[in-house]
Amino acid sequence: MTAVGMETDVSTTERSDAIRQFSGRGSQYYVQAFHRIGEGRGRIGSFNPAAALLGPIWFGARRLWAAFWPILVIELLAWIVISVGLSGGANRESLQRADRLATLAESRQAQAAAATQRDPESAMTQSLAESAAALTKERDEAYAAADRASSSAWQILLLGIGGLVIVRAGVGIVATPLLERRFRTWRLLGDSAPTGLSLRGAIAATALMALVVPISALGFSGHLMPALASVPANPDWHSMTAAFLDGAMKTFSEQVAPAAGVMTGTINGALWLMETLLAATPWPVVMTIILALAWQIAGFRVFLLTVVALAYLALLGFWDKSMQTVALLGTAALISIGLGIPLGIACGYHRRLARLVRPALDFMQTMPAFVYLIPVIALFGIGKPSGIIATVFFGIPPVVRLTALGISNVPENVREAATAFGATRAFLLFRVDLPIAMPSIMAGVSQTILMCLSMVVIASLIGAPGLGEDVLRALQYAAQGQGLLAGLAILVCAVVLDRIVQGKAAR
Amino acid sequence: MITLKEVWKIFSPDPQATLSAARQDDIDGKTLKQQSATIAVRNVDLAVTPGELLCVMGLSGCGKSTLIRLVNRLLTPTSGQVLIGDSDIGRLNTAQLRRLRSQDIGMVFQSHGLIGHLSVRDNVALPLEIQRIPRHQREDRADELLQRTGLGGLGDRNVSSLSGGMQQRVGLARALAADPGILLMDEPFSALDPLIRRELQDEFGRLSRDLGKTTLFITHDVEEAFRIADRVALMRAGRIVQLGKPQELVDAPADDYVARFVEPYRTTPEQPPLRMVQ
Repeated sequence: MTAVGMETDVSTTERSDAIRQFSGRGSQYYVQAFHRIGEGRGRIGSFNPAAALLGPIWFGARRLWAAFWPILVIELLAWIVISVGLSGGANRESLQRADRLATLAESRQAQAAAATQRDPESAMTQSLAESAAALTKERDEAYAAADRASSSAWQILLLGIGGLVIVRAGVGIVATPLLERRFRTWRLLGDSAPTGLSLRGAIAATALMALVVPISALGFSGHLMPALASVPANPDWHSMTAAFLDGAMKTFSEQVAPAAGVMTGTINGALWLMETLLAATPWPVVMTIILALAWQIAGFRVFLLTVVALAYLALLGFWDKSMQTVALLGTAALISIGLGIPLGIACGYHRRLARLVRPALDFMQTMPAFVYLIPVIALFGIGKPSGIIATVFFGIPPVVRLTALGISNVPENVREAATAFGATRAFLLFRVDLPIAMPSIMAGVSQTILMCLSMVVIASLIGAPGLGEDVLRALQYAAQGQGLLAGLAILVCAVVLDRIVQGKAAR
Repeated sequence: MITLKEVWKIFSPDPQATLSAARQDDIDGKTLKQQSATIAVRNVDLAVTPGELLCVMGLSGCGKSTLIRLVNRLLTPTSGQVLIGDSDIGRLNTAQLRRLRSQDIGMVFQSHGLIGHLSVRDNVALPLEIQRIPRHQREDRADELLQRTGLGGLGDRNVSSLSGGMQQRVGLARALAADPGILLMDEPFSALDPLIRRELQDEFGRLSRDLGKTTLFITHDVEEAFRIADRVALMRAGRIVQLGKPQELVDAPADDYVARFVEPYRTTPEQPPLRMVQ
């Protein structure tokens, strides 16, 4: 009895018609199976023999590609185990080793025999004979191991076949529920979701299986032809392209050398200012100001944190270096923020610009920092400005992204209302958009500061002084303790900076 | 005085083409959909006389929200003229348009559009801030308006801490801040619950008449329209189907559509249209 209190004929409901239309071949089975699933009974009961028999090909035919791929991979594993078992177990390698040992032992024996003829009593002869005996013994052991392995080949084969059977059984169990889920999507979306059996899907799945399974099986049993064994790479193309890029970089750096000089000068100026403030000023002054700022801006808890942090830096002798680091990376962070917020605002207003900028940001964040160190060094030479530029590259994406996000999330009705009262674009930006976007922008600023500080070691690779040097040195001499202490100092700088900056936003 | 002359507003990739086709009645729903075009306002003539409260009433999607945005050029008409007083606002340059918006027109929105991080007072003073009126002057003016809209003493509160009805009062106070001659009300009370809505309707009707504002009021609610309006325009699919005093719409509906709208007011004699003001 159903919950409604009367038994309905499964095959006449509107759903059943839909199932028939959806499933095509085998519709009677699917009407019953989907009904069982819908009633919440019998996932096991809905075992799908066709799917179990055909495996991945069934999923291709039903175009359940999301399930096709994991099943193909699992099945491939089973096929590989079977091919290893068929080709004589894991003994191929051990046989090869035994053969190598055999050749070695033979030549050693020959040497020993020759030596005995020349001078049976010498120490040389004795050691050769001992070595030959040892090798012979090892050879025998290796052959024995290979024999054992080949006698276990049928076990491996059984394991593979058993695995395949289990995989197919599992496939048979999950197939119908998966198809039922697809059915519900299809009812929701209509014809945009695939239905019925697809010949093309089945052919594609079969072709994939036919390509993937035999080649893997051959590869693992050691019978693969050499053309397929190694990837057809062309080393010339690689070196040609690299040489071309070298040339292009060289021309480029010659072209922009004057501009690069100006940039280096500007950065050096900003850096000099920061270093004077932080590193050259006597430490009690700097420390007092930082502590006072922490209290003022972020409150008592951050103040306490700052006391502990500064005490750590000062007492363990990291003070000068950490001030140098903060000056350097602080300059980088300021440049990132100074460039990033306007760019982010522009991206927030102009969708098209945002679409152009996004891949560039992805590139800057994903490309390993070491790679863009090379052109940066080519353009700006080794030293602090290069370190700052590389850091800006890496640090600018979050603030751009989050500023753009904040600006584009400003409610349109607020903007419309302000416009209706005659607001200018500048008024909209400074009085409406920026304040509303501020939490998002501050999150971006914080991310940027942390990203910049995380570049400290890489920056010191190209000659920027500071805590990064200590980490590098610790790495060179495998000095774990020193490395940890220096790393902790970097962390402490980052946390204090971030908490003070965020403290302003949190209030 | 607001005058709309043969105003069209078409949303479409090529509005002019759609317009010329629509002018010759040469376009049907299917073609419109193909061109992804919408004719939001279709050849509307309308005049709101000084001091009058005119309600534009219609179901959602009939173009009434578009219509009201044409009056202060938040949207620009595809064709036709919008006059405020004697000046054609289509001919104003950016600075003149801004002056018009900040000094002569106040607007209230359904979704109030208040600025969350500002205090109630600063929100009310916003139009004055845009006009660069000195801080103390605009704060005093804002306090005066808060007093008037029943929000006295709440100036320092944060807008987001207020209830929906209170927020709408803030919106009204903001619209009145610059003492504009014209009020545009875009479904201001639709999102409020019935009791608060009625209270605000009555208060607004009184206030608007006391201050002698020329008001264009958008609503989807017949009851609201009949309660506060001097004249009512019923809109359907971008056209104004009938324009007249509430009683005229009840007594002589132009067509079946209007008749169905005013149905509740033309029923049995023992239930006289009590709820109608005047």
